[in-house]
Order: sequence, then structure tokens, then C-alpha cells
Amino acid sequence: MQDSVLTLLYIHFYARISFWKTIFVLFFPFTLPHYECDECHMLRNTYFRRSSIGFSCLFCLYEYSSFFVSHQPFFPFNFLFWSFRFSFFLFFHGFDDLILVEHKLSARILILNRPKQLNALSFQMVSRLLELFYDYESNSDVKLVVMKGNGRAFCAGGDVAAVVRYANGDNWKLGAKFFEIEYQMNYLMATYSKPQISILNGIVMGGGAGASIHGRFRVATENTVFAMPETALGLFPDVGASYFLSRLPGFFGEYVGLTGARLDGAELLACGLATHFVHSSKLTSLEEALCKVESSDTAAVSAIIDKYSEQPLLRENSAYHRLDIINKCFSRRTIEEILSSLEREAMNTADDWISATIQSLKKASPTSLKIFLRLIREGKVQGVGQCLVTEYRIVCHVLRGDFSKDFFEGCRAILLDKDRNPKWEPSKLELVTDRDVDIYFSKVDEEWWNDLRLPKRFNNLPAWAISKL
Amino acid sequence: MDRASWRTQVLSKHLLHSSSPAILQPNACLHYSPPELSAPFAFDIKEMRNLMDGHNLEDRDWLFGLIMHSNLFNPRRLGGRVFVSPDFNQSMEQQREMTMRRIEYLLDRGVFQGWLTGTGPEFELKRFALHEVLGMYDHSIAIKLGVHFFLWGGAIRFLGTKRHHDKWLRDTENYMIKGCFAMTELGHGSNVRGIETVATYDSSTGEFVINTPCESAQKYWIGGAGKHATHTIVFSQLNVNGNNQGVHAFIAQIRDSDGNTCPNIRIADCGHKIGLNGVDNGRIWFDNVRIPRENLLNSVADVSPNGQYLSTIKDPDQRFAAFLAPLTFGRVTIAVSAVYTSKISLAIAIRYALTRRAFSITPTGPEVLLLDYPIHQQRLMPLLAIVYAMSLAANDLKMMYVKRTPESNKTIHVVSSAYKATFTWNNMRILQECREACGGQGYKTENRVGHLKGEYDVQSTFEGDNHVLMQQVSKALLAEYRANQKKNKPFAGLGLEYMNKPQPTIPSLLTSSTIRSSQSQIDIFHSRERDLLSRFAAEVSEYQAKGESAESAFIQSFQLAEDLGRAFSERAVLQTFMDAESTLPAGSLKNIFGLLRSLYALTCLDEDASFLRSGYLSRDEAVEVRKEVTKLSSELRPHALALVSSFGIPDAFLSPIAYDWIDSNAWASVEH
Repeated sequence: MQDSVLTLLYIHFYARISFWKTIFVLFFPFTLPHYECDECHMLRNTYFRRSSIGFSCLFCLYEYSSFFVSHQPFFPFNFLFWSFRFSFFLFFHGFDDLILVEHKLSARILILNRPKQLNALSFQMVSRLLELFYDYESNSDVKLVVMKGNGRAFCAGGDVAAVVRYANGDNWKLGAKFFEIEYQMNYLMATYSKPQISILNGIVMGGGAGASIHGRFRVATENTVFAMPETALGLFPDVGASYFLSRLPGFFGEYVGLTGARLDGAELLACGLATHFVHSSKLTSLEEALCKVESSDTAAVSAIIDKYSEQPLLRENSAYHRLDIINKCFSRRTIEEILSSLEREAMNTADDWISATIQSLKKASPTSLKIFLRLIREGKVQGVGQCLVTEYRIVCHVLRGDFSKDFFEGCRAILLDKDRNPKWEPSKLELVTDRDVDIYFSKVDEEWWNDLRLPKRFNNLPAWAISKL
Repeated sequence: MDRASWRTQVLSKHLLHSSSPAILQPNACLHYSPPELSAPFAFDIKEMRNLMDGHNLEDRDWLFGLIMHSNLFNPRRLGGRVFVSPDFNQSMEQQREMTMRRIEYLLDRGVFQGWLTGTGPEFELKRFALHEVLGMYDHSIAIKLGVHFFLWGGAIRFLGTKRHHDKWLRDTENYMIKGCFAMTELGHGSNVRGIETVATYDSSTGEFVINTPCESAQKYWIGGAGKHATHTIVFSQLNVNGNNQGVHAFIAQIRDSDGNTCPNIRIADCGHKIGLNGVDNGRIWFDNVRIPRENLLNSVADVSPNGQYLSTIKDPDQRFAAFLAPLTFGRVTIAVSAVYTSKISLAIAIRYALTRRAFSITPTGPEVLLLDYPIHQQRLMPLLAIVYAMSLAANDLKMMYVKRTPESNKTIHVVSSAYKATFTWNNMRILQECREACGGQGYKTENRVGHLKGEYDVQSTFEGDNHVLMQQVSKALLAEYRANQKKNKPFAGLGLEYMNKPQPTIPSLLTSSTIRSSQSQIDIFHSRERDLLSRFAAEVSEYQAKGESAESAFIQSFQLAEDLGRAFSERAVLQTFMDAESTLPAGSLKNIFGLLRSLYALTCLDEDASFLRSGYLSRDEAVEVRKEVTKLSSELRPHALALVSSFGIPDAFLSPIAYDWIDSNAWASVEH
């Protein structure tokens, strides 16, 4: 407590900012919009306005203060400096138990640490990840970032239950804030200048895919269970899925996104969502080897992972063996045509896989299906940034309940009441017209609302990141 | 940057209160800087794309995806991106086979559903959109489809009656049969009325006998006839009981379903061409081929079993015009596809100019970006304005076409002729400029721009030679003018209503507010057209007064006729631009539209000497206009990327130099 008070005094004193504003910024940063800090050029919500410079974030202010204090040996309130440092640490690292950071030589290992909730991403976690990724990018000591999950999941998605809790009614802004930060994180990862290696040893769903697939390397194991199950939840595959799913071979992305089908490690590797397959027993040694890497050279990193990799066999009834049928049916222009072509296939061949696929399409929210089909088709012809901007528009309309309220119904049925029997509204595909879907792709009609602001990127991006722009 | 120096930098900025960008480190190697990162777009490119594409964006994106995700479309991975384009290294025969296989794939995916059996503006717009996307992939596939659906299918639809519709349309849509359209002959192209093929009615068997009487009557350039087509529309002179009834259209089978040529038909190939080698153009000779009486497309005229010629249209001129109706659609399609080709080449050239540097201004300074050179701006930005103008006008033409009524047919004929000619000429000019602007890279086939020149060159010839079409335009305008002069009929239609008002006084263009005002721009365009029209009419009358025939007088006045055609077209385009601009709400989009519209208008003013000749542009003003073009070009420079991104062309349909051309040319990307 004492530390916090001293911090307030310090900032108040040195940055010449009103006391109340200091308190506000320190304790309610998540309610604030993100601005670009004029010093470090990063998007922050922890900013202060300084008279002649403009916006400075707390991080830069912190750098400033440490300089100021340490260069004045006779400064009478030297202790203030240390208490500032300490409370700063507490404030920003206070959530650290949700994301553990291991400092290795040139690597940083980030561990999603919320095992009871299958590492579902909370607002604090995405904010923290965003900050960490920013910091590692400018820190030349860091050459690569390894991400993994604690427990049986890598990450089961965004903490949508929490989003729904505080996004009900007029408070949809708060929910939008979560997605804004999450999508900014997705964009940063997609265009990251250093290799991110995600160890997908367990469940990877929704937001978890967004926190890993965009990175340069994705290591699947025999424990990997991947899915984008949003259409069954009345949401739609987001977190940049319209970019990465639309780049899968043929129309596999449409299949994965619309049906929410589960993929295992071998399938993930086959379709390209994973770059490597490593048996979980070798993960410890892989990690050790990665920690010895001293450059960001992707070829070198790739060579190391290759050493531990193997070529897994696709299981016999894998969906990937049915790529022909998937291409034939999921390439159709509309959901209705996709369904009817699947039904035609079902009549010709008795295949449980086809009937399961039809079932999952019929169980999903009709609105979600239509939104996602248009989204992924648009995504094929756009860069990752544009994809996220569009997804942000859609998610804002979803949170506002502008056309359908299926997201809230889906969360109720699957996450809260758990009766697994959502009542979609509109209940049938033919009741969702193109005009209705248009609403989701339009700008939100609020004066304060803006399109997603993408984090500023620099000119030193590696070729593989440039190709996603 | 390590932590310590980052801190120093932050601190020094605090202390110096400066906001200079990070110090540039001298780097021996060029690094590709994505233009996307330099500045955010000043307007919403999605809204702009809506205006550019105009309709069916979802259908377009779907088809883009279908193409990008099939190996049939020859995807190549370069610089981390996939590019699709036919393999032009393949032999002519292979390219033709690939075109056909691609069509079969698209057919299987339901792309052509309703292309012939569907009706109504919605179907027609969707068909336009899908056809445009296919043309952006490859001109050959667009032409091959155009011949089958729009010429063969269109002829059956427009010239045939129910019995033809029932028999052929569904089979055509499903490619059970493959159609072609045999109109042009070796001896006759634009002058269709002069063709020499003869169909004689034999009342004893109830058959027509189609014959090629001489070598100049061989059907020439018949797309699809070289290899694949099973049926053809034959245009020939109809001979009933020894009377020539003029040009009529018939259906004849030329191959069986196994691809063997039918008896009494001879087919030869047109050989290798400077483009469109994925289309099997062929030549056909008919040796007294007998076809049933029902194969006459009889919506305009019919022959009864006992050999009576029956026609609802008595005037042979009007009857002939009715036979050419299917060609209107072709002209609309060509005008639109020229615009999309220009979009592709400009998107490539501008993206390249935003990443390629050449020469430094100072000895140690960085090399200058191509598009930062005023000359490069002046080469490309006016073309960008022209493409925007053409794009809006093409959308307008499409809307006119799908909402056509018997009354609007004439307007559509005139406007589509004018746009087909001017847009295809503009396109060739844009392609050439873009090719040069891309330097040596523009010469590589994989970079598309140069290759498109050969592919699209034909547009100024097929479906009506551009000059012939321009004459049609000036002829139609002359008829309007004479009707007004002689019968005192006020001008109505073709945008000529302004002629009913007295000539307005045109404010001097020498101030920067009038030079950019849409009213003064359209006024001066009106004046040019009015001036040319009256001078053209006067000159034709003068020749006629000297005893020349109407045709000969018209031929003699060719200069004014051509100028008038151009003036009409440019004025109509500017008018659509202004109309589109006026419907926009105030905001960034409208502002950009204003700049583009001014740049389009002033580029026309700068380039056409007929403004000076008419006297409505003074010498000083002409100098001022030229300066303003430079100014506008540099004002639009910051929006260049946003403007080409608004075309909505996926990266796969552009080319490696439009993106990371260093990576796509790296040793690692060479196939070892």
C-alpha cells in the first residue's frame, strides 16, 4: 500500500499530472482506449499526457524516472525511486501467475498458467501477452519466444464466459475491449519479427489457436486436440481465423471453421496448421535445445525442431483423407448449397463422417454459419490485418446483439446452464438473408467507435511476416 | 536495438523534446519495405471497393477463392504468397486443353448455374461479376466462355424461339454441347452484311443447305471451332426460292460428341496468335451441309415448310440490326474487362513504384522511391484517375444493360460502342505505360503487365473495330442533331439535353477553384462536344451540297467524326463520375473522388487538342491545366496504395513485383 501511495506521489510530482488522473490510469487502465506512445511507438492504455511531448506510456515514464533518479546521486528521495520500481512491478506483474515467464539465454518461455480453466485467455492475460510481445520485439537480447500451456491444454480459447458476463446490455464496450486487445495481439504475433514457437501439447481451441497459429512455428504432439468451435457457440471463428483457415489446402478451412471439427496433431501437420510434429516425450529436450539458440534465424530454429520431429500417420478415418469430398462440397457458394451437396454425397455413400458433418452444420447457429462463410471467403483475398479489422467489426455487432443474440444464447446453453440445447434465433438458414449478414460487416454506428487499430509495425519484418500483410 | 540503447533513445527524446524518427542505419543490402506499413489509409478501402466493383462482391470473392485453391489454375508460391496465372510456357495445344479443363472444374463447382437459364437483373449482374473475375485470371478463359455462353447461348436466346430454348439452353449451360459463333469470314469482318456464305432452302426435304461458295467465304477466327465446339451458329445469306433475304442465323452441328468433324464440314486452325492462345480459333468451310428447317433461329424471320419467307420486321435494315443484338452484350463485357485489366496493371505498377528505388538525390542519401519522382507520378496517377472514371462508367453501362427496355436499346448501342472503343484504347495505353514503369521486370511474363498487352490487343478489333464503332457513335449523334435542326425536336437521351440550353459562358479556368469545379469542367466538355457536333453536321452537309452521297460525305468528314466520338465518350464518363460523386456523403471518400474527377477531366483537357481548336480553352489555360495535372498527381500520391487496394484484386491475381520482389527472386526460390 505504502508503495502505491509513493508511486502516485512520484508520478504526480515528476510527470506533472493531476492526482486523480494518476489514480485513474493506474487502477483502471483497462477502461481506457489505447494510444500510441510517442516514445516507444507502441499502443498502450497506460499513458500520461506530458506537456510538450504528447503521450507517454507508463513504461517510458518508468525509464525516464529511473534515469532521473539514478543520475542524481544526491537526490534526497532516492527511496522513492525504488518504491516506484517495486510498485510498478507489482502492478504490471501482479497478474504474472496467469502467465509465467522463464528467462533463458536468448529465449523467453511464456507459460499460460490457468490450468483449471484450460488456460482460457482472460482480459489480463491478453493484455499481458501483448505487452510482453512488444517488449521482446524491442529487446535485442530476446531471439525467440516459446509459448506453451500448463496442464492438459495449450489454451481452450478466450474467456468468453467472462466476456458475456460483462458485455451484457450496454456494457458491450467492455467486451469489445477484450477482443480489441486480443486481435491486436493476434496481429502482432502474425507479423512478429522473431520466431514464436508454440508447443501445442493438448487442447487448442478458438483464442488458443489465435495465440499460436499466427506464429512462425507450431509444434503439434500426439496430445493435440484442435478445433474452432465458435459456430456451435453462436459466435464465429475469429482471432484471425479468416486469414489462417482460408490459407489451408482447398476448402479444408471452410470445413474446419463451419463444422468446428476436431483435428489431431497429425491432421494439424498435414493441413499446415502445425509446422512440426514432436512426440510429447521429447518436448523437454526440444525446449532445452531451443533455449540454446542464439539467433532469430528461422532456418536454424527450424533445423533444431526438425531434429525432434517425426512424420505421424494420419488415422484411417481422418477428415483429411476426405479432402476430395470437402473440396467438392465446401467450395459451394452458399451454406445451403454446401449442405445439399453434402446430403447428395450422403445418399451416394454410407459414410458416418458425412452424416456427422451434416449434423454439426445443422446444430450450429445459422447466423454464425453465414457470417463465417462470407468472412472466410473475404479472408482469402485479404491480408491478416484486414481480416482482423473485419472480424472486429463483426464481433462488435455480435456483442451489441445487432441482429441475432445467438452468442449469448450459445454461452448460456454451452458454458453457463450447460443444457447443450441452444435455441438459435433466427432458427433456420433461409431466415438469415444476405442483407442481414451485411449488417455484421458494416461499421458500428456509434460516434466513439473506431475500426480496430492495428499495432504499428516496422520495416524490418522478415519475409514470412511481410507476406501476411 | 538492445535495451540500453533503446533507453538512451527514449531518454534523449525526453530531454531533447524532439520526435525525430529512429536513426537510419546505413545498410549495404536493400530490404523490401512493405508499402502497407508506411501510413494508414485515409479512407475506407472497403467502401471504395464497393463503389468500384459495384455489385456481387461476395460472388467475386467466392470465385477468386475457387481459382486460388485449385491446382488447375497453376498456383506458384513466390515470396510467401501464391500467384495464379496460366503457364504460358505450355504449347498452344496444352493451353487450350487447360482452358477447357478449368471450365469443366468451374462447371462442376456450379459457377455457371443460371448463366443461360436464369433471368432478371440479379442473374445478369452475378454473371457479369463472375465473368469479370475469370477475365482477371486469364483472357482466354473469359473469351472461351464468352463465345459459348454469350455468343452461341446469347444467339439462341435472343434470336431463337421456344423450340430452340427448350432444346439447347440447358444443354449449353451444362456443357453437354459446346457452341461457337461463326459470323466473321476471311473476306468480311465488320461488314457483316457482305458475308458470302449461303443458305438455300430446299422445300422438297424441308432443309437448309449451307455452302461456302469461295475461299473468301470461309468462316474465320471462330473461337472454339478449332478444337472443342460441337455446334455453331452460322451467319449466312438466306436464299429462298431464288430470292436473297439477307443475313440470317442458323444452327449447325460441326462435330459429334466424340470430337470427330461432321461430314461435309472442313475445319482448320487459325494458328498461333499474339495472345489468347488458350482459345482454339478455327476456320470452317461448309460443303452443302444440310440442316433441318427448325435450325433457323426464327425470332425475327421464318421460312414456312413450303418455302414462304415470313418476317415481322419488314425493313431489311431493322431486320439486320435485330440479328446483331447479341453483340451488344459482348461490347459491354469487353468494355468492362478492359477496365479490370487496367486495374491489374496499375495495381502492379503502383505497388512496384512504392517499393522500388532508383538514384539518390544526395551523395549519401537513400535512393528515391520511384513514385516520389514527379515524372513517375505524372505517368501513373492520371491513368489511375482514368481507371476510376472508366470503372464508374462501366458500372453505369452494366446497370443500363440489365435494366434495358426496347426504348433504351439505342442508347445502350451507342454508349456501349463508345465505351468499348475508348476503354479498350485506354487499356492498351495504360498497359504500355505500366509495362515501361515497371522497367525490365515489366517484361517478364510472370509479372503480367507486359503479357497482357498481347492478350488484350485484340479487344480493339473483335466485336466491332474501334474506329467503326466510333463512327456509329458520331452517326447516331448526327441523326439526333439533324432531327433537332430539321424537326425542331428537343434533344432527349444520350446525355445531350444540355444542347437544348444556350451555350453557357465558361468561366476562365485560370483560378484554382474554377479549374477544379465540376461545373466548369463539364461545361467545357459540353462546349467541345457541341462545337464538334455542329461542325461535323456542317461539314457533312457541305460535302452533300457539293453533290457527294450521304455515305461519302460521312467518310470524308472522318476527322470530326472521330473527335466527336471521343468527345461524347469522355463527356459521358465525366458525367457518370460527377453523378457518382454527388451521391456520396461529405467525407474522405468524397474528397478523394473530387481529386480523381478533376484529374480525369484535366487529363482529357490536357491531351485532346480539340479543346484548343474549339477555342473554349485558351493557350494560357492549357498551360495552367498542365500544371494542375502535376499538382493533382502529387496530391493523390499519398493515396496511391489505398486507391489501388480499393480495386479489391487479391494478391494472387497480381504478380511477384507487386509484393516482396526481393524474396520472390531470392536464390532460395529458384527451383534447383
